[in-house]
Amino acid sequence: MAKPILIVGGGPAGLAAAHSLATFGQACLLVEKEDRLGGAPILEGYAKLVPSGEWAKDAIGGMVSRVEEAELVNVLTSTTVTSFTGETGNFTVELSNGDHVEVSASILCTGFTHFDSANKPEWGFGTYQDVVTTTQVEQMISSGNGVRCLSDGRKPKRVAILLCVGSRDRQIGREWCSKICCTVSANLAMEIREELPDCHVYIYYMDILTFGLLETKYYWRSQEEFKVKYIKARIAEVTARDGKLIVKGEDTLVKRPITIPFDLVVHAIGMDPNRDNGKISSLFGVDLEPNGFLDQASSYSSSGMTNRSGVFIAGAATGPETIDDSIAQGKAAAMAALEQRQVAARLVG
Amino acid sequence: MSHAHSSRIQQHIGDPVSDSPALDRDKLEEIFQDIQADIRYDHELNGCLNCGICTATCPAAHYYDFSPREIVQLLWTENLEGIYDAMQEKIWACAQCYTCAARCPFENSPGGLIMLMREAAIKHGMESAKNVLRPFSRVMLKLISTGNQLSPDMITADGFPDWGPNISKIDAPLKVLRQAIPVPTLNTTKTAWEVNLTTSVELYTIWEETGVLDQLETIDENLYDVILDIMDEKREDLEDWEDEQED
Amino acid sequence: MNTENPNNGNGNGERFTGHGAEWRDANLSPEDARTATAWVEQVINKRSMETNKDRVEDVRDIMWQLEKEGEIVVHRINDEHAPRVAKTIYGWDKKVPTQQLWHHKSCGQCGNIPGYPASLLWLMNEMDIKYLDETDQTSCTAWNYHGSGIGNIQSLAAVFLRNFHQAYVSARAQGLPDGYYYPLVHCGTSFGNYKEVRAYLLHSAKLREQVKRILGKLGRLVDGKLLIPEEIVHYSEWVHMMRGDIAERQTIDVSAIRATIHPACHVYKMVPQDAIYDDSILGGNRVAVSTGIMEALGTQVIDYSTWYDCCGFGFRHIISEREFTRSFSIDRKIRVAVEEAHADVMIGHDTGCITTLDKNQWIGKAAGKGYNLPVLADVQFAAMACGAHPYKIVQTHWHATATETLMEKIGIDWQAKKVEFESYLKEVEAGRFESLYDPRLAITSGPGFQALKKVENA
Repeated sequence: MAKPILIVGGGPAGLAAAHSLATFGQACLLVEKEDRLGGAPILEGYAKLVPSGEWAKDAIGGMVSRVEEAELVNVLTSTTVTSFTGETGNFTVELSNGDHVEVSASILCTGFTHFDSANKPEWGFGTYQDVVTTTQVEQMISSGNGVRCLSDGRKPKRVAILLCVGSRDRQIGREWCSKICCTVSANLAMEIREELPDCHVYIYYMDILTFGLLETKYYWRSQEEFKVKYIKARIAEVTARDGKLIVKGEDTLVKRPITIPFDLVVHAIGMDPNRDNGKISSLFGVDLEPNGFLDQASSYSSSGMTNRSGVFIAGAATGPETIDDSIAQGKAAAMAALEQRQVAARLVG
Repeated sequence: MSHAHSSRIQQHIGDPVSDSPALDRDKLEEIFQDIQADIRYDHELNGCLNCGICTATCPAAHYYDFSPREIVQLLWTENLEGIYDAMQEKIWACAQCYTCAARCPFENSPGGLIMLMREAAIKHGMESAKNVLRPFSRVMLKLISTGNQLSPDMITADGFPDWGPNISKIDAPLKVLRQAIPVPTLNTTKTAWEVNLTTSVELYTIWEETGVLDQLETIDENLYDVILDIMDEKREDLEDWEDEQED
Repeated sequence: MNTENPNNGNGNGERFTGHGAEWRDANLSPEDARTATAWVEQVINKRSMETNKDRVEDVRDIMWQLEKEGEIVVHRINDEHAPRVAKTIYGWDKKVPTQQLWHHKSCGQCGNIPGYPASLLWLMNEMDIKYLDETDQTSCTAWNYHGSGIGNIQSLAAVFLRNFHQAYVSARAQGLPDGYYYPLVHCGTSFGNYKEVRAYLLHSAKLREQVKRILGKLGRLVDGKLLIPEEIVHYSEWVHMMRGDIAERQTIDVSAIRATIHPACHVYKMVPQDAIYDDSILGGNRVAVSTGIMEALGTQVIDYSTWYDCCGFGFRHIISEREFTRSFSIDRKIRVAVEEAHADVMIGHDTGCITTLDKNQWIGKAAGKGYNLPVLADVQFAAMACGAHPYKIVQTHWHATATETLMEKIGIDWQAKKVEFESYLKEVEAGRFESLYDPRLAITSGPGFQALKKVENA
């Protein structure tokens, strides 16, 4: 039987790749460092996904069980790769459990790390309990507890969502757009308005990048149906007074600086390169692009290629990515690996 | 000035009302070139996302018709008339705290750009610069002639009536109070600390070599003359002392 | 959380209803729901600071490269300067020298808050820190520049390099080697300005060439090269690194004091990547200097909503736009510190802020805002807590605000101290005055110089 293909990371991209390979009769070894599969949507407790509107637990959960049930996929959780040597068709993988496995190729679906808002101390995260991140709001919703102020459990009457926290900000060396935060924020704003109809939700933005069909479904709909207010302003600082958060911004319409009280401030946190990318890069001999994501080779001849033959990549490991596109990339990388297998078989034959 | 040819940006962002006289295009371009020629320009202006974080955090924007975002936009769009208008008054509103620079996601420095515009206003002898700087002349005199910017004898109850009656809560002659500071270099009244004569004279060379005296001459000829006299005097004093050492 | 929320229905089948008919159960097990929520409620106590030098430029890397190429000489912080290493906002290291320091004075401090430098020197004497306070230095000229626009990048750079060169060679007057004393910058504006100028010098070969010519004329090059300091260090950073040592010498209990901090714009917003943050101080979420020493001394540091705001100094504004300065200072800082934080004192670490916040309260009475909140520099408060004389050393009589009420709160009999000081003034008038160091050291060359061989600090 042919050697398996190693897939590193059990998030949407890795799950999609494993499923595709297995469907084509290719055995795979799926290695996940956490204790369960599903990646960020499951591990971080996302609520409804964009743009399907399905609950993460159901949507990604379905992908997880499909892979767990596949006979050709060997899933190893709480496991990491400690060494990776060889060449296309003949790689040797050493795992943290001490096993050595021969594989023909590898697909890195190692994902991203959420931006840590502590890096922007002027926006109050870590100082004030009621400054939270989009991930936390996802969890408030998915846990069934609803959106509440963490300081005293009250229902917020005024919520500010700050976009581009950890994105498009040279002050902290992050110039990229994280791609998903505008849409996710519009989605969360609608969910907050649904749950708390008396709550006013303001989104502070530099640009709204709800690309493609997301424009109607999120940007326009959040305004037309849910009366979410969009204000073109980047907030300077978040402080507190009398139990309220004080947000300092510019009213760009009248060009005046203003301070506005809020009950809850939400950081729409961006996507950082996986904090292990340095290690991943040297372990697998793949290059990083200048921002620290895994570098992708030209995609015109084949998808998901790196600088190293036999090592493919997919998903948010390559840069900020949506769940749907991560899944597509996982399938594309699987296809690229199969193409390579096919070429090799022809050469041998 | 005519707004017939003003750009769209100026209509929407620039100050549409101005009494300033018409200026020919060459002059406007010259002013802009001077601003742009500074080595700092390309570090302080990288682009603009128009997010307004600079204006949001700006102390001067709370009190004046002033917005750092507007200044950055004028420079970025090369709105020469708008830039000239802003140089009449607005650039002097900035409190130079540089909070804008610490916040800008593009790493612009609106406060730094304001300084380039102020330098250009001085170079071109703009009336605005002259008016605005008149009350500042004592500081400039002190600085350029001694290397200190402020001296104890400048701070008097008459000079700062709004600071209250107690410049010192202990009533004694300034000289005695200064002598009672246990730091020997501070036992002075005419300078904040005692400045070595050689130090002042070294500083004069810096002023001459960097064109600071030319700036001063453009903006305040009387002050310039006074300062030149002081400089000559101090240089002579130093020469005398040097001669004494040789003897 | 949600103890009083009737809609919170983990397990009781009752959920919040806002999601409408399309809402579907997330099927989280009670345990999973708890895990997810625990993360939400967790106090954030980590600070990953993953903004490394690949992301944000560190000009010191350029500096070392230029030194390697033989373009500049770096005034190093060596073991003899007993450096302590601080962390900056992005977790980078910054060496803060604690010994053999050259005091680079502040014109505003020396001019109208003389207790500011006097307190610093007094504390250094208490801790046997070697230093030099001399007359061969000019102001950084940046107050005037930011206020008037008179000056330019070349003049600012030349002044910077001249003063720092003098610091480098100053020990010659005492028969000691070059580089012995390391400059310690007193003024926040000098600190910010010097850092910015240093960055431009490191970036621009053209600027280096322009000023090298001038520095050459002044005889201020080292081996024909420009001298650049390894670090530009503010006195507040020295105080911060020495806070434990200072607190050991504390004689007065200040734990009843509610302190508000006014961090200075030019200290932590100019070249922000160089500002010191410390995980143990306000969770590393705010600049550490001043808060660090106030916490070490045992005061309660109180947060307030305009913490980030400027004081309103404005350079030119304090002279000729006073309405702005006093309005901003009273409304955005003092009023908030008093009414919101119920502060006993406002502590700062820069010349212009202390002046602005202290001097502009009196006029508030005219507008029905009669605040009288004592304003002191961190180092003045620290010296006072360590037993320094409030008039002779801390020179509180130059402060317009009610420093007396602060002294009463910490048990200093200021009236008695004032009488002592007034009788000392008689001595002074008679020509008998005290000094923190041997006055002969203050002149290192030129008129008035007396060659003293290896004189130790007083």
